[in-house]
Amino acid sequence: MAKDRGETIWTALDRKATAIAEFTMRQYRTRISTWVVLGVGFLSISVVLLFYIDAMNTEIEAIDNDGDSFDSDGDGYVDGQEFKLGTDVYDEFSHPGLFNPPIQPEPASMYINEDDYDWDYSDARSVASTGYDDDGDCRESQLLDSQKDTNNDGIPCNIRIVFNSLTGEYQIFADAGVDEDPDEDRYGKEAQHRAFVLAIGKLGFVFLLSIFIPLFLATGLIRDEMTSGTMHYMTAKPIARGEIFLYRMLGYLGIVWPYMLIMCVLMALISGLLGPGDQFFRFADLGVWFSVLIAALLATLVYGMLFSFLGVLWKYGIILALPIAAWELGMALLSMSVPESTFLRMSIVGWSMSIIDSGALLVWPDMDMFTQAGSWAGGSNEGNSFFSFESEALPGHGALEWAQSDLGLGMGPYPTIIVSMMVLLAQAAFFWFIGQLVFKSKEIE
Amino acid sequence: MIPDVSQTGEAVEQQWVPQPKAPVVMLNNVGKTYGRYQALGGVSLALSGGVTGILGLNGAGKSTLFKLLMGKLRATQGEVRLFGTNPWKNPAPYARVGYVPENESLHDWMTAFDFVTTFARLHGLTRDEAKLEAERVLEFVGLTDVMHKKIGRYSKGMRQRAKIAHALVNDPDLIILDEPLQGCDPLARTTIMNVIRELGRMGRTVLLSSHILSEIERITEQIVILHQGRLLAIGNVHAIREQLDNIPHTIELECSDAKALARDVLSLDSVHGLQFPTTTKLRIFTHHLGEFHKHLPTIVVENNHNVMNINNPDDDLQTILGYLTGGSR
Repeated sequence: MAKDRGETIWTALDRKATAIAEFTMRQYRTRISTWVVLGVGFLSISVVLLFYIDAMNTEIEAIDNDGDSFDSDGDGYVDGQEFKLGTDVYDEFSHPGLFNPPIQPEPASMYINEDDYDWDYSDARSVASTGYDDDGDCRESQLLDSQKDTNNDGIPCNIRIVFNSLTGEYQIFADAGVDEDPDEDRYGKEAQHRAFVLAIGKLGFVFLLSIFIPLFLATGLIRDEMTSGTMHYMTAKPIARGEIFLYRMLGYLGIVWPYMLIMCVLMALISGLLGPGDQFFRFADLGVWFSVLIAALLATLVYGMLFSFLGVLWKYGIILALPIAAWELGMALLSMSVPESTFLRMSIVGWSMSIIDSGALLVWPDMDMFTQAGSWAGGSNEGNSFFSFESEALPGHGALEWAQSDLGLGMGPYPTIIVSMMVLLAQAAFFWFIGQLVFKSKEIE
Repeated sequence: MIPDVSQTGEAVEQQWVPQPKAPVVMLNNVGKTYGRYQALGGVSLALSGGVTGILGLNGAGKSTLFKLLMGKLRATQGEVRLFGTNPWKNPAPYARVGYVPENESLHDWMTAFDFVTTFARLHGLTRDEAKLEAERVLEFVGLTDVMHKKIGRYSKGMRQRAKIAHALVNDPDLIILDEPLQGCDPLARTTIMNVIRELGRMGRTVLLSSHILSEIERITEQIVILHQGRLLAIGNVHAIREQLDNIPHTIELECSDAKALARDVLSLDSVHGLQFPTTTKLRIFTHHLGEFHKHLPTIVVENNHNVMNINNPDDDLQTILGYLTGGSR
């Protein structure tokens, strides 16, 4: 005996568990269909990854959100420079070139993306006053201090951010000319990156992989053996059918969980290296990927149990599984738009996705704020810019808004993660329980 | 509970203890119906020790009987007991049972050694123990030299033996073999028959099914005849044959000189009629099959007859069944 271990009925049970789990894993490995399913999963995620890589390598075109790179009066001086120095923007005979000594015109490019956000998003909930007028068109303008304080908070050239605890949203009140020309590329890359991580986590991993891999791999876990007649060998041994169900499931997890882990690590590595930011690798993102992994592992467990049970229930269990997959797709989309819907409680995908949303919120606590900032886009579209130049939300904002959703349980991120994990485990246990009940009552021909 | 991943050393016996006085197999008025079709009806049977052949035509209920014993099917009526335990409710008795199912399918992607080792571990054996056990049983069925080849490449006889080997791990007290000789070539047949006889000699209770009487006869004397889901006869094959001997039988001989042979055969008391379908064929009617067969070889040898073929069209299960059910014969 290698170790002095007490021999109990449990250790013998463990031998059966490892025997069946190992057997099941080997069985999966010898089947081409397993590799096809896993390969297709890899390919579909890779295709989305290609879009991401492309997006990260494409410079987002800079937009002059506040329109001050335009020379309205055609005197050779762009509006931004004229405004800053107090000459008339609309009078071609009033420009800094007439100063003594004359001032040379600045290139228009200096007035594009010249006043980016200077916000510390991470402090968003406590900070009411933020922002800095990089280009000086507020600070250095000839206006009175009261005129510089268009948001009436008593501080000239700032941005006041108000968190509305009722709606859970931020409202941004900016003084004219402050942070009004954000850097599209900087914001857009970050937004696209976050949107990608969330979307691939929620739709790619939790929905696509976690439903379709169990659909093909777990539905036949028990049923295939019953159909082919090889289940006779296993059920003729001193082992309860509930155990067979459970241990076969362990074998299934032995294939699917490492696969999910590898996929997650790959995606985390690639997106961490290619993602925006000054640092070499986005280490903080690993937290989000970890929550994606947890969600995917639990989802594959629950779906595996469910589909395996459906396979036991009926020879054509996959036909029962398809409407469930359709329901889960609806729930996935619902979770992204109405995360507080009670329908989501009757799904698997809803609970899994809330783990990812919570993880994202822990790693990016500025998420709401950041999304709002993109929608505000320098404020030009709210009409409180000095120039009534129409601008839309910043690039990437739409994607992020779509991919990100609030926590629907009305709890903080940590409680949400814990509750969701418990619910998913309970669902898995429930499906195992009824699965083995049905299996026990099945006659094997 | 920490999984026993190392799987080394020895395992201990399971806790389940069979009832000491209960027969190995006990069926009390057991029936199994599928809708309106009765696969098995009112079968009562108790068996302990020895080799028992379950005979019956296809659809007689042999496999149904075995599946009831193995807890694959649930009896619609009556009680099924394996070592005194209801196998549908409790899989514990299988620790002492080996079952060879009828169906052909096997895990073709495994080697016989892996197959037997894996399923041996389901008896609660450790990896080491299971490997030793697999080597032992594969040697017992004579597959040692091919045990590391994939089962998918085996011949039918080898597959059948691999199935038997897997049933023999943990040294079971009861071995159930469903049509173990079906589809095997003569050599494999002989090997498997020897294995079964050996198991009987070792004092195991062996149940095997077949629809061919001569096969069973070569293995055991104790037979159970099932017909249309009913227990038709149970007992010694010779006793049943003895009764069969006293009914009219037909034997066809193929020989070079039918007339000469007929002359010599007619001297036997047991022969009461002759027919000559062709010049080289002789059809003999007898009242006493056993008596006739006892004397035939002497006559053939003494008179130097050249007999090419002896055809005994009545000597099969169908005839016995016909006789037992009081049918045409």
